Amino acid sequence: MRMHPLKQILLHIFVIMFMILLIFPMVLLLFNSFKSEAEIFAAPMGVPKSITFNNYAKVLTQSTFLINFKNSALVAFATVFLSMMVSAPAGYALSRFKFRGRTLFSVWLLATQSFPGIIMVLGLFVMLRTYHLLNTLPGLIVMYTSFSMPFSIWLLKGYFDKIPVALEEAARIDGCSRALSLVKIVLPLSVPGLLAVGTFSLLLSWNEFFFALVIMRDNAHYTLPVFLARFMGSGGVVQWGPLSAAALLACIPVLILFILGQKYLVSGLTGGAIK
Amino acid sequence: MRSTQPSFEEERKALPFLIPALLVLCLISLYPLIQGISRMFYTYQALTQKTVFVGLQNVKLLFSDHLFLRAFTNSLVWTGVSVIMQFILSYWLATMLNSRFLRLRRMFRGITIIPWALPPVVIALMWRYIFLGNGPLNMFLHSLGVAHPPNWLTEPRLALWTCIIANIWMGIPFVTVMLLAGLQTIDKNLLDAAAIDGANYLQMQYRIIIPSVKKVILIILTLETIWTFNMFDIVFVLTKGGPGNASLTLPLYAYENAFMYYQPGYGATIGMFILLCLLTVVVLYIREVLR
Repeated sequence: MRMHPLKQILLHIFVIMFMILLIFPMVLLLFNSFKSEAEIFAAPMGVPKSITFNNYAKVLTQSTFLINFKNSALVAFATVFLSMMVSAPAGYALSRFKFRGRTLFSVWLLATQSFPGIIMVLGLFVMLRTYHLLNTLPGLIVMYTSFSMPFSIWLLKGYFDKIPVALEEAARIDGCSRALSLVKIVLPLSVPGLLAVGTFSLLLSWNEFFFALVIMRDNAHYTLPVFLARFMGSGGVVQWGPLSAAALLACIPVLILFILGQKYLVSGLTGGAIK
Repeated sequence: MRSTQPSFEEERKALPFLIPALLVLCLISLYPLIQGISRMFYTYQALTQKTVFVGLQNVKLLFSDHLFLRAFTNSLVWTGVSVIMQFILSYWLATMLNSRFLRLRRMFRGITIIPWALPPVVIALMWRYIFLGNGPLNMFLHSLGVAHPPNWLTEPRLALWTCIIANIWMGIPFVTVMLLAGLQTIDKNLLDAAAIDGANYLQMQYRIIIPSVKKVILIILTLETIWTFNMFDIVFVLTKGGPGNASLTLPLYAYENAFMYYQPGYGATIGMFILLCLLTVVVLYIREVLR
């Protein structure tokens, strides 16, 4: 089968238009990070005429950016680790055992998505205050772990389902316990699933704004999204140059990890949704 | 076949694997939910600095609050337009990316995914720059001959729509990728057979393609509706609900009450209203899936 040449050209034009719309805002951000404040408004859409690194220098030396970056990295790393630790056994139980309430799981998964941030944050606020976890990174880590858990369990269950039970049964005859067979047999075969969960909880914890905004009280404890919002909001006039540089620096590490891991996340998410 | 009734033996074996998740679920999901909801029955009195039980007074307040009604209508427009436009544009893009007549498909798909990784705050600040009165968009409109391009962020009639545009942009990668995955599962022979039988474009869409990806479409629409209704970041960074309250949505109004006006009880009441709206969406989805 062939397509009419004119139709095929139109197809390419439309796709390229979409690509320009998707890329253009990011390109503007990149350009602005290398422009002086005067040039940003003299030529909002142009390529930087003389590349300046002042914006980056300013962000790195005259703001708390590096501290906030470290906070974000710590929170993300811990959330990814904890999500896997909690979700792997639960996903395994869902995949291998039968128990009451098992069918409730997918309902619960959707229901947690619908919990409004304001209710959760008001409830958590009291709890975090009681345990002196307000304005601390562990407070955020615990919250993000609970947010990423439903999807993580669901993703991992999908991957575990694909691993033949026969493999485990052979090991169990040799005296291998359930827990050991999860660690020794199932997990090594579900590395793509773990990467999917890792990518998902990384994005969630690195990008989350609302809870971090409410829980964190001072500059030294902000994560990057809160830092960026405060940086924009402080002092009336927005300094677009340094702000763009900071935003770009805040995106790049996760963008790289996401590009490496998105294949697993996409196949995990769609695999479950299509079945 | 296993029996439908789980044996005690099996449940006992499953339990140790479930304990960590159940602990997290109860302590950091269910408990805060209940605690948060219970706040709607209390009010904070600034004079005495005490929190007192007021029963359903916050709910009564809700129904006579014009600003709440405003925020609710804004939220409906914000969610409805965002989800529908995200879906239409993504469906269009996904069918094009799925076409075998498209060159460089892998590259285009790769580009489409990228904005998915960006923090909503960064997306919002990118668009805030684009929409500035003397920003790139108006510069562009000016060069096209528009003498007085509008002030996108400070014009009350436009502010909400400006936020919606940024939100649509943000949702396209996820929806497109999910739809594309659905489209790729359709049997090519089925499409070829239909084409040979002389089915036109619309018949193909309605008779074959949409029914085959119905499940994906339903889950995408449900998740996007929930996420968009709960979305806080975009409006907060772009307009903070302003000018006036032109772009105020429910999550923002709840936040303002709880953390700026010292009315956590009223904030929780608004939250409860959001929860009821969204649980309705979840119930509709489940009914549709079970049918």
